[in-house]
Amino acid sequence: MSGLLLQGIVNGLIMGVIYGLIGAGLNIVFGVLRVVNFAHGEFVILGAYFAWFLLQALGIQPFLAMPLTFAVFFGASYLLYFALIPPLNKADDPEISSLLLMFGVSISLGALMLLVFDADARSLAIDIEPVFLTFGDVVVPTVRLLALAVALVIVALLAFFLYRTHTGKALRAIIMNRDAVRIVGIKVEQLSAVAFGLGIGLAGVTGILTALVFPSFSPFVGADYTLIGFVVIVLGGLGHPIGAMLGAMLFAVTEQVASIYFNPSIATICGFVLMVATIFIRPTGLLGRQALR
Amino acid sequence: MSAAGTITADEASERHDRQGERLRGRIAAGFFLAVICALAIVPVATGNTSFAFYLMLWITLASALNIVVGFTGYLPFGYVVFYGVGAYAAGICYKVLGWPIPLALAASGAAGICLALLLAPTLRLKGVYFGIVSLALATIVRLVIANLPSEVTGGSMGLILSSSNNPTHSYYAMLIVMSATLLCVLWLAQSALGKALKAIRDDDGAAACIGVDVPRTRMIAWLLAALFPALAGGVEAWHTNIIDPEYAFHVLITAKSIVYAMAGGFGTIIGPVVGAAALLGIDHLIWQKFPLINLLLLGLVIIALMLFLPRGIVGTVLKRRPQLRRYIA
Amino acid sequence: MLKVEGLKKRFGGVVALKGVDFHLPRKSILGVIGMNGSGKTTMLNCINGIYLPDSGSIRLDGQEIGGLPVHVVARRGIGRTFQVPRVFSHLSLLDNLDVAQGQMGRSASERYEAASYWLRKVELFPLRHNFAEELSGGQQKLLELARIMVAKPKVILLDEPFAGVNPGLAQLLIAIIAELPREHDCSVVLVSHDLTSIYQLSHHVIVLNEGALLCEGDADTVRNDPAVIEAYLGT
Repeated sequence: MSGLLLQGIVNGLIMGVIYGLIGAGLNIVFGVLRVVNFAHGEFVILGAYFAWFLLQALGIQPFLAMPLTFAVFFGASYLLYFALIPPLNKADDPEISSLLLMFGVSISLGALMLLVFDADARSLAIDIEPVFLTFGDVVVPTVRLLALAVALVIVALLAFFLYRTHTGKALRAIIMNRDAVRIVGIKVEQLSAVAFGLGIGLAGVTGILTALVFPSFSPFVGADYTLIGFVVIVLGGLGHPIGAMLGAMLFAVTEQVASIYFNPSIATICGFVLMVATIFIRPTGLLGRQALR
Repeated sequence: MSAAGTITADEASERHDRQGERLRGRIAAGFFLAVICALAIVPVATGNTSFAFYLMLWITLASALNIVVGFTGYLPFGYVVFYGVGAYAAGICYKVLGWPIPLALAASGAAGICLALLLAPTLRLKGVYFGIVSLALATIVRLVIANLPSEVTGGSMGLILSSSNNPTHSYYAMLIVMSATLLCVLWLAQSALGKALKAIRDDDGAAACIGVDVPRTRMIAWLLAALFPALAGGVEAWHTNIIDPEYAFHVLITAKSIVYAMAGGFGTIIGPVVGAAALLGIDHLIWQKFPLINLLLLGLVIIALMLFLPRGIVGTVLKRRPQLRRYIA
Repeated sequence: MLKVEGLKKRFGGVVALKGVDFHLPRKSILGVIGMNGSGKTTMLNCINGIYLPDSGSIRLDGQEIGGLPVHVVARRGIGRTFQVPRVFSHLSLLDNLDVAQGQMGRSASERYEAASYWLRKVELFPLRHNFAEELSGGQQKLLELARIMVAKPKVILLDEPFAGVNPGLAQLLIAIIAELPREHDCSVVLVSHDLTSIYQLSHHVIVLNEGALLCEGDADTVRNDPAVIEAYLGT
């Protein structure tokens, strides 16, 4: 029994890092732009499809496809920013408007993927020997361990970018106080586009990781990832870039451990109940300093 | 200026202003009445009631959503949960408990109200938090229903309400639900309650400071916004004879309710009716033939509305032409 | 009329109010001055129920109102305005005033009469069908004042009513506030940085410093108080 529990915790930690990346991307966009990116999950799936396409058409291995995916997604969404986001500033309630706008993007993107790739579930298969690694009672697929290692590298890069580079510090400054930053003379508009690109670029890369860790993906599951992303950042603290990681670990371990004892949908219920309870007990999330509304 | 002159001017302006308010109400009431009458003769005039039935369903859902979004500023992303619970309540009461249809429909409404009471603590949250929690809770409710014993809910097969169907009766039941929704919105817009709700939407703190009991007022709107979709869900289940677990909680139902209401204009009382009629009409004429493109277009319409017409058709007209506010609410 | 005794409020480690006492007699204006962070707004928030005071009593006509919910305090007859005006942006001016009378059991005609009286008073009557968001900042402050006055409050709390108001409108505002006690039987707590208008309007002035009363008295006493001079002008 304890072997099973351990297995659940290990699975939870691996999922947790990936969920954390989903949340981190969402959180950067929300923190910097106050835009609720409801289409985040669709961008995650799009990343998986992009890697699938690269593998099928050009034979590029998924792990190698990541930098390319990030670059393409970053560039595309950097441009998308200027088309979508600035008009929102005129709205009566920019946050809710952004939620609706990105909801529209989410539906369009999902439908587009359905048109292009059909409804069939796809998977990203890579051959690695051995397929499983065994540590005592715990069995872990090798590819999951690789994905975990890559995810941790990405987290480290992200942390380095946000805390050690000039642009990263400016982004965090915007999260803390948008108006003050404007006065200091930082180009908020351009940095916002960078943040949008960064968040969606992260989504694309995370999509490849999810495709490696989960058995399959299809155009329909985007909303599930979005919801997980939100649960995770609400747990960790809306707008707190690294808080998402902690929330993700908590959520994923809860979900994975629960899925050992109950059926999967009860496990999902457990995860959501955890979030709802957290919001009521500590509305700022685990690491958030203040309620952001 | 003589004192007498001022008084007459005052009386004139009062009469003018108060007539304006009554006029607005009458115009909206007349518009609603015309819609209701037109829909009432559809089954008599034509054999095909399908479009009209779904028009009534969407007018109901969009207008009820308007009560909570337009009047209070809360955006419940899990709005479909009331509709789904209503459908299941009617189905279970009819099929499993063997209740007659009218009682089963009453149970739909009751189920919607009960769920709204259960979810009421979430009204403490605001903005994005509320929207996301609402979505998470809707997912929880859907999963709980999916995990109930299949003798009760029919499991993944759903429920089939054999032999209950009477298309004409269910058509008029939906007409009644829609009329009640419109009446309620009309009443809200004219009443002190409706103005208090809009005040809360704009600034709840300031509303409390002038004596509005914010939690109580908000709760009334929340219950009304839950009641009508639950009834609509029950009637729709009766009309189609089927409750499908996927469809009954589908996020697209929330999406379309939002889009239709937004296209007309949240916060205006005729907006959701205009929006539902316009978009459902287009949907019926063109999009229905291409289901995939339909979904894509739905998404693009939301984007276009948010970018170019965030206040919707009626809302934009009223913003651009303030003098029309005297006639249109 | 309004009697505040030993009002204390702390936020975490910060003591915002260290025990404030004052008495606001009927038909009078009480000026409250103090530096930023001296506890003026916190005091208003405690009186009208936005904050729960840690200790002390707030009595209106002898009845304790400390700790009551905001809307109950408002219905007992305490109105307030805010530093940054908080109007209902998407309601017309008439509706802004209508909401304020919603709980009073007045007929539509009575509500209209009160609303038009106060809209004329603040010279916004011609704009009565406009949305409140279409007003300038100064006009919104006037609307806020009209909005609390239609409910015939016993006491009103005005938080920086002149901040961000152009001189012309400020004169109008001063003239209206000056006549509130006598003509409308309404007592006023007036918080402002604008010493000139405080001294001009107030029957009694209290000076807050770091959450405590620094001194009090009529305008002349306060103006010449060495502690106040030191706090405001430095030495």
